[in-house]
Parts: sequence; C-alpha cells; structure tokens
Amino acid sequence: MVLRLNGLQAGYGPKTVISDVSFALEPGQILAFLGHNGAGKTTTLKSIMGVLRPSAGEVLFDGNRIDRLNVAERVALGLRLLPEGRGIFPDLTVAENIDVVAARNVSTGAMFDVPDVYKLFPVLEERRTTRAGSMSGGQQQMLALSLAILGTPRCLMLDEPSIGLAPNLVERMFQQVRDVCKSHAMTAVLVEQNVAAAMKIADRVIIMNNGQIVFDGNPDEARASNFWHYF
Amino acid sequence: MLALQLLCNGIVTGCALGIVAISFSFVYSTTKIFHVAHAGVYTMGGYIAWSMLEHGFPAPVAFLVAVAACTALGALIQTGLYARLEQRRATHLVVLIASLGALAVIQNILASVYSANILQFNLPWGSKVFTVVGDVRLTVTQLLTVVCSLAAYGAVMWFSHGTILGKQIRAVASNPFLAEITRLRPRRVHVYVMAIASALVCVPGVLVPLDFGLQPYNGITPLLTATIAMIAGGVGSITGAFVLAIVIAELQNMSLLFIPGEWSIGITFFIFVIFMLFRPTGLFAAAR
Repeated sequence: MVLRLNGLQAGYGPKTVISDVSFALEPGQILAFLGHNGAGKTTTLKSIMGVLRPSAGEVLFDGNRIDRLNVAERVALGLRLLPEGRGIFPDLTVAENIDVVAARNVSTGAMFDVPDVYKLFPVLEERRTTRAGSMSGGQQQMLALSLAILGTPRCLMLDEPSIGLAPNLVERMFQQVRDVCKSHAMTAVLVEQNVAAAMKIADRVIIMNNGQIVFDGNPDEARASNFWHYF
Repeated sequence: MLALQLLCNGIVTGCALGIVAISFSFVYSTTKIFHVAHAGVYTMGGYIAWSMLEHGFPAPVAFLVAVAACTALGALIQTGLYARLEQRRATHLVVLIASLGALAVIQNILASVYSANILQFNLPWGSKVFTVVGDVRLTVTQLLTVVCSLAAYGAVMWFSHGTILGKQIRAVASNPFLAEITRLRPRRVHVYVMAIASALVCVPGVLVPLDFGLQPYNGITPLLTATIAMIAGGVGSITGAFVLAIVIAELQNMSLLFIPGEWSIGITFFIFVIFMLFRPTGLFAAAR
C-alpha cells in the first residue's frame, strides 16, 4: 500500500471536521473522493499533506508513519497536492514556474523532469514566456498539474481540478491524469464535484458525508447502489 | 538654471529613495509585513560606517562592514521576531506594532550609544564639487549616490529575474501556499529577503548621511516616502517603486520653485491621495 489512513481525525481549533477516516490505496490506483461541500474532503487532503495536524489517527506512506513529518518532508517522499484554484505562481512566466519547482524537486533519475512536462503538455512550451496568470483556465490547470508532478510523485492529490474548466477540457485533463497514473504506477486521489467525470477514470470511489466515510467501493458498485443518497 | 540644479538634485534624492522603496517593496511583497523597522536598519548602516571611518578604516571597508551588519540585523529581525510571531499566528496589526517596537529599540540604542545630536562624516573628498552641465554642480557623494543606486537597481532586477533564488522569492510572493507544498521553503526565503533588503537599504543609509549627517530618528521620512513610491508604483514592481521614487523626489524638488520647502512632504501625500483615488493598484501593477 502506498498510502494508508487509520482512524484519522482533524479539524480547525476546537471544531472536529473529519473523524475515523480510514482507507488504503495501492500503487496506480485512482480514487474518486466525493462528497458535498463541507463534507471534509479538503480537510482530509490537508491532513495527509501535513498542512493540517490531525488530532488523532495515523497517516502511513509505504508502511511508515508520516504524520510527524513536515510538508516539505512529505513532498520529498512523493506526496503531491494540486490545490484548489491556486496551483500556479500567477506572476511568474510559465518557464519560471516550472524552473523554480524543478530546481527544488527534480533530481537525477526523476520520474518527471522539465522536458517530460513540456512533452506531456506541448502548449506550455509554446507559452514559455507568457505570464502564467494571463493564460486560459485550461492552460493554467495544465501548468498546475505539471508543477504537481515534477520530480518523482508517488501519490498525487487533486483538489477540485475541474473548477472553471469547459466540460471537454475536463474530460481531456482527467484522461491525461489517468494515463500518467497508469503509465507510472502513480496513485491519485481526485476530489471532485464533477462526479460523472471523476467516476469515468476512477478505480475506486469513496464518499464522505459530515466528516465520515459513508461509501467505499468501485465505480460499478457505486452506480448500482442508491448513489445520490450518500451525498 | 536653478530649475536644472533642482532637477539634478531630484534625481540624486530620487535614486537614493528608490533603493529604500525597492528594498521595502521586496520585503512587503514577499512577507506581507509592513516592515517599519527597515527605517532603523537604514539608520544603523550610516552609524556603523561612521564608526568604522572614525576608527581609521578606509571608506570601502567601512561601507562593506555596514552592509554586512545591516544584513545580519535584517536576518535577526526576521528569525527572532517576525518568524516567531508568524508561528503564533499573529495578525498583521500585531506584527506592525512589533516592527514599530523594533524600530524604537534600534533608534534608542543608536541615540544612547552615539547621542541624539547630528553627526557629520569627516570625508573631505565627499564634498568635492563637480560641474555637470552649465552651472549645475554635484558633489562626489551625490554622483556616487546616483551611480550606486542605479547599480543596485540593476543588480536587483538581474537577481529577481535571472537567478533561481530570485525567481523563488518571486514565487513565494506570488503564491505562498503553493510555495510551501512545492518545497520552496517560504520561511527560509523570508530570511533571505529580509537580509537582502537590509543590505540594499544600507546603500542609501550610508550615502545620504555623507551629505546630510546622521541622526538616530532620521529614517522615518525616507521610509514613508518610499512606501508611497512603492504603492504608487504598484506593489511588487521593482521598476515601479524606483521610478515613482524619482518622480516624487523630482516633484518635491521642483515644487521649491513655486512653494516653500516645508510643503514638500505635502506634495508626497498629495501624490498618494491622487493614486489612491484614480489608480489604487499603482502605475506599474501587473494585470491579474
């Protein structure tokens, strides 16, 4: 198992937002992590990433507890987060965005070096000198995904990557995420409001409600069940 | 001819002010701290250089030691004060008050060590006068101020856009959360920024008092004017801060042709109000 959560509990100040969250993910597995607004999905991602300290439970990566490590140490292990709506440095050019992240995350033999992300998203190479914040939403999201995978990512967490994107772009981007995950045995946790698009590429579905997991199964089981009842 | 002399004086003052504005902008755009104690670092640079010269050290050595001392003080303020307050999730107001406190401490230490009276530099070559054009005359110190300030501006532009650390600093300023989760080490970058800005502000901190002398409390007015240049130029824009500092200094100087000198600070705040009303994002603000 790449990532395992055991009875995770976290919140903000005295308010507990998630409790008893447990699941384990295998290499290359894509998890659609669903739920209504405020269900606790982003809080779970933040706890895994180390941005938020859990009040109880364990986070294990490759079988080792990582809940005492800081954010930078978790990123070095291969945990990556594409944050909701702010995954780029808008005031820097595309090339500068990629260069600064590569300088700190890409070492010899890395899974994704600078040429690899340009190969994956050729439009970014064409727009190397463009200020990132002035690009279209789709191009910004391609850049955000590039920044998230630079180096050697083992588990990529995407927080609502489809926000503000046209439906055809969402499908194309999700397909690229699936291709990258499957070709590099990279695990992905996809937090998404666009349930249909997320289910298309997912191997597994977890639905959260009021800070707890209420459904855990594969997409076919989810479709066969009284699916919307869980939201 | 008086107008031309005032124009040249404005360029000299503006260049010095421009470096204060750039360095303040560097700190503010990256850390979002309204670093009032920067005025104390500016003042301390001059006193360190004065002490070194009084002990017989050559001017370049005195300057370099002052720069090193200011760099260390800047890094110390960040690690010993601002970083600790950030860890405690202090509000911007608390940090501002802490910065004012640090400024008061620096000023009081300087006043108790050197006295609150004006100290003059004893550098005969500094007041040697050159005729630039016609009857327009500038001292060696003034010429040195322009040359060093332009060199510092060029160095900052190259550093910010041409080096990986400069780009990382701009990245941290642009999106601190992403910087954290991409291992750009924002806290360490903040220390670098504070150290670099403090080294920069030492340049005018040493050169301006060569002409006007030293006083423990004389850093506030340049800092306020530099703040206005930063806002009017567009927060985060190095060129904007530098150009607007020169424009403000020129307007202050040229206004002497029409109104008494005591109104020059009023000119500065008039410019500030105009910008707040008609272009609050500043002249060189990048479109987001």
